[in-house]
Amino acid sequence: MSRSARTIAIAGLGVLALAACTSNTPEAENNNNAAPQGVSAGKNDEPGKKVKIGFSAPAADHGWMGAITKATQAEAKKYSDVELLVAEGTNDPNQQISQVETFINQKVDAIVLLPFDGPALTAVATKAMEAGITVVNVDREFNSPAAARTTILGDNYGMGVSAGTYVCSQLKDKKDSIVAEIAGIDSLGLTQDRSKGFKDALADCGLKVSNRVAAAFTVESGEKEAANLLQAAPKIDAIWNHDDDQGVGVMAAIKNSNRKEFFVVGGAGSANVMRDIKSGTSLVKATVIYPSTQGADGIRLARLLVQKKALGDLVEVEVPREIQLYAPVVTKDNVDQYLPTAFES
Amino acid sequence: MTPSTPPAPAGRESGAVLTESALLTMTGIVKEFPGVRALDGVDLDVRAGEVHCLLGQNGAGKSTLIRVLTGAHQPDAGTIRINGDEVQLNTPTAAIQRGIAAIYQELDLVPGLSVAENIFLGHEPARFGFSRRHEAAARAREILRGLGHGEIPVRREVGSLPAAGQQVVSMARALSRDARLIVMDEPSAVLDPEEVANLFRVIRGLTAQGVAVVYISHRLEEIREIGDRVTVLKDGATVATGLDARETPTKELIRLMTGRSIEYVFPPRAEILTTAPVVLEVTDLSRPGEFAGISFSVRAGEILGFAGLVGSGRSEVLETVYGARKPATGSVRVDGTALRPGWVQSAVKAGVGLAPEERKSQALLLDEAVYKNITVSSMQRFASGGFLNNHAERAAAVQLAESLDVRPPGVDQPVRNLSGGNQQKVVLARWLLRDCRVLLLDEPTRGVDVGARSEIYALVRKLAASGVAIVLVSSEVEEVLGLADRVVVLREGRAVHTGPAQEIDEHQVLDLVMEGSSV
Amino acid sequence: MSEAPSDTTASTQATVAPPTAQRAGGLLSTGAGRNLGLVLALVVLCIVGVATSGDTFATGPNVLTILRAAATIGVVSIGMTFVITGGGIDLSVGAMVALSSVWATTLATQQLATDYHWIFMVSTALLVGGACGLVNGLLIAYGKIVPFIATLAMLAAARGLAEIISDRRTQIVNNRSFVDLFGGSLIGVPTLVWIFVLVAAAGWVVLNRTTFGRRTFAVGGNTEAARLAGIKVQRHTVALYVLAGLCCGIAAVMLMARTTTGSSTHGQLYELDAIAAVVIGGTLLSGGRGTIVGTVFGVLIFTTLNNVFTLNNLSFSAQSVAKGVIIVIAVLLQQRLARRTTSS
Repeated sequence: MSRSARTIAIAGLGVLALAACTSNTPEAENNNNAAPQGVSAGKNDEPGKKVKIGFSAPAADHGWMGAITKATQAEAKKYSDVELLVAEGTNDPNQQISQVETFINQKVDAIVLLPFDGPALTAVATKAMEAGITVVNVDREFNSPAAARTTILGDNYGMGVSAGTYVCSQLKDKKDSIVAEIAGIDSLGLTQDRSKGFKDALADCGLKVSNRVAAAFTVESGEKEAANLLQAAPKIDAIWNHDDDQGVGVMAAIKNSNRKEFFVVGGAGSANVMRDIKSGTSLVKATVIYPSTQGADGIRLARLLVQKKALGDLVEVEVPREIQLYAPVVTKDNVDQYLPTAFES
Repeated sequence: MTPSTPPAPAGRESGAVLTESALLTMTGIVKEFPGVRALDGVDLDVRAGEVHCLLGQNGAGKSTLIRVLTGAHQPDAGTIRINGDEVQLNTPTAAIQRGIAAIYQELDLVPGLSVAENIFLGHEPARFGFSRRHEAAARAREILRGLGHGEIPVRREVGSLPAAGQQVVSMARALSRDARLIVMDEPSAVLDPEEVANLFRVIRGLTAQGVAVVYISHRLEEIREIGDRVTVLKDGATVATGLDARETPTKELIRLMTGRSIEYVFPPRAEILTTAPVVLEVTDLSRPGEFAGISFSVRAGEILGFAGLVGSGRSEVLETVYGARKPATGSVRVDGTALRPGWVQSAVKAGVGLAPEERKSQALLLDEAVYKNITVSSMQRFASGGFLNNHAERAAAVQLAESLDVRPPGVDQPVRNLSGGNQQKVVLARWLLRDCRVLLLDEPTRGVDVGARSEIYALVRKLAASGVAIVLVSSEVEEVLGLADRVVVLREGRAVHTGPAQEIDEHQVLDLVMEGSSV
Repeated sequence: MSEAPSDTTASTQATVAPPTAQRAGGLLSTGAGRNLGLVLALVVLCIVGVATSGDTFATGPNVLTILRAAATIGVVSIGMTFVITGGGIDLSVGAMVALSSVWATTLATQQLATDYHWIFMVSTALLVGGACGLVNGLLIAYGKIVPFIATLAMLAAARGLAEIISDRRTQIVNNRSFVDLFGGSLIGVPTLVWIFVLVAAAGWVVLNRTTFGRRTFAVGGNTEAARLAGIKVQRHTVALYVLAGLCCGIAAVMLMARTTTGSSTHGQLYELDAIAAVVIGGTLLSGGRGTIVGTVFGVLIFTTLNNVFTLNNLSFSAQSVAKGVIIVIAVLLQQRLARRTTSS
């Protein structure tokens, strides 16, 4: 599992980034650990040269994507030296490409890009890089390293591993347990990664996915697919649902079926689900975080890159090529730690 | 000719209807459409509780008169009084409020709604916006019982009722609005004899309650049975009113309907050589429910006329010859070659052209230029490799339009702007351009004003003289007799008479189509 | 009436017969007048663009950006113009784009392209689009299924098939010469824009200068009259949908070049964008009246609107609202003009 190894290596960075996010105001953070050659994190927040950043993301047609955009805009407002241009969210690659082209024409300093489809936006992102614009790729990866200076990724594989490990810990004594999975949009690489991680982690404790359906990250698709799943499997021990937004529909379907013999693990980490976990009365016992602050981190990194500053707390003077965020499991025990940064779906 | 002997309806008191005060009085009604004076001084008075029959040939103005009466058209001149008060019927709603309702041949019911819902459509019993379905059902039942049809279930979908039942629902709807005058446009056309008897029972029930009925029908025997008085329309004007429905002789009624104030000028007939080749030959053509066993042939230069009522199958025969309808049996040959049945392109290829009855909906591209309408059937001639040669196309159209004297001149204006007669010339020009062998003309002068008719007649005759075989269908007997060389009289889908046009007169034809007796 | 005949009308009328005042007014309201309205709308948008962000808006690269974005949906809209003018509608264009792009980027097709020539990818896209259109046309003309339903079925089926073929993964185009040619430029103008210009020009010629175009107007304006005039209405209807499918195939090629991918998610909601562009261009939804120039303006107006909103950092929903308002105004205007021509 070379991928896991990398995950662990980067996990530290992820925690750092998360810590940075949880701090409310830049001024509040005053870190004195000056790196030998780099610039201190505190100094990073001081206003520097004006940075014009273009941001483009898919249509905010579900909670997580809406949260991404909101967090991004909120983050940009914190900096007096950042001017953020936000393009209309779109699921049409053709239109998203022209948005990036427009940013190039506007001569922005950096572009934070969450592509609807990574490979489809690779060519235009490369064009932006060639035009001297710093491109920060968020969440969905390009298929060429030349297309972005830095890539911020959620750990999709790690999400599956975390969910699978948690399920294993709960069902370790029963090798014949029925585990079900409600995935997101199957055509996306991130869904495939999540499912693979889940499968691999379950295999480690001798379990497997008995029933799998794919929804579309929306409430109604979640309801529909969960209802199908509950029909198909008369007895279930655990369900992992990839996305808490579609989870609203999933929980509705479970409620309608009056079934209580299993527990549910969520994904992405919406505030709703965390409150349910905290209450302890819900079938949802845990969720795996997929940070909705990736875009916000993208703004921070883009600003640092343009202003030629280093990432605080690293010895290295350059911002890393890739930052993968950690996918922790939230349970009743640690939910208070994560609730403040959770997104409202 | 057989004098009709009307059966004396049982239990009918002729005295009961004689409320002498007029419920409705229309005086000097005039209605003009571009190029046509559809109504030219119509007088009509209808008394409460009577059945007033309206007679007239197609195009005499009956439909327009009904539309004026029901508020669909506004008259250009004339007055309408109801119970002596002058009224303006500007909208259908205004007419309904005055107690006037109409039952059309194509019933205007919503098939998917229930009987009760249809009866109260537009004025549902409701409280606070919630419809009171029980009250509606109860009231519907009551009205239907009053019509003698309490057996019709009020919750049934109207679409599932037979035609007669739907007609009763239409009447119930009129009554639900407290109609005092109901216009019925050929109500018996869709009914079988038993249902007609039923209908008459309902009508008598209505008149007994003081409701007046304006009854339109082509069947003289019906008029004699149900009618009280008759008004005859001709060329948009009243020629006789207040005739006794049972006493007036058939001959007199037909004379009134056909005797013309304007004489059309028909061009002289050409001598048809019996040696001229047969161009169109139709054998044993039939379509179940429309017509059966139709055979005829037309020689080059000959005009064959079809006379018959609406529903006699005359237009259907023509459209079947053209291939627009597929025959059940029979064949159509042009110059000896059989056409593929039900295949328009085969007819067009063989040189058959059709000027259809509904010119606007079946022949013309109203918003397109005149020249495009002329060339639409001969585009290949002006195209090479699919590209149109606009100059050649326009030039050919200009030449034809000029020779047919299409007015106003100018082939680039949309056809919509032309009058009916000039639109018809455009349709004829289309087939002239194709050099067609057979021309099928369905009601060539419908909606054409008096002046332009003679031009169309001359044009048709000229076409025949150039060797085209022509089949003419017209609801105007005079036109068929004046223009055609030979005449076929159709009644209920069968040819009841075939012979030279000069050997039969208008009265005989009308007698044939209406009574079905032989000459 | 289309823009071209009215133009020739205006010039020939003067020589053939002196136009009456009323007729001249009628013409203005049908052809040139409506295009004038579109030109005006575009000019207003451009003025807004220059006023709010002139330093970027009025530059060459930005104009090319607008044109590149317009090209793909523009080609789809040209096909849609034919279908709607002919009295139909095609809801499956987006799905056909997706299916064509997926089929043309399968491993097998790409292998052919690598071994021989990229022309295999292009012809696969065109064939798939044309075949889908053929199915649409046959169902509508001979199966007597109303166009709305037939193409709705195709919308679902084609996208589903695209998902099956691609296994819902994005397929990357490996052929460099394909991407370089179609994604590149010719004499400073992007190839995509050239393609759009060519398709639009060809569409204009076909609609206004050929028997095919004339028949399209006839079939859409009065199907019964066209049939009785001897036009092969069914065959023509099939041809119209095949044409729309071919345009989708071309659009798929363009999208493959622009995104360097084929995907079952391509072309989402293109049917609505195309119908909107066609309708505000002045083509009657009920058929019989169609204009290629109007459609091109319709596409440009929506794309420019997009661009102006992006430049001004006006995000999200405001733009959709503006789109909706434009559609309503255009259709209202169209109805009033139609009423005026019928009453005259």
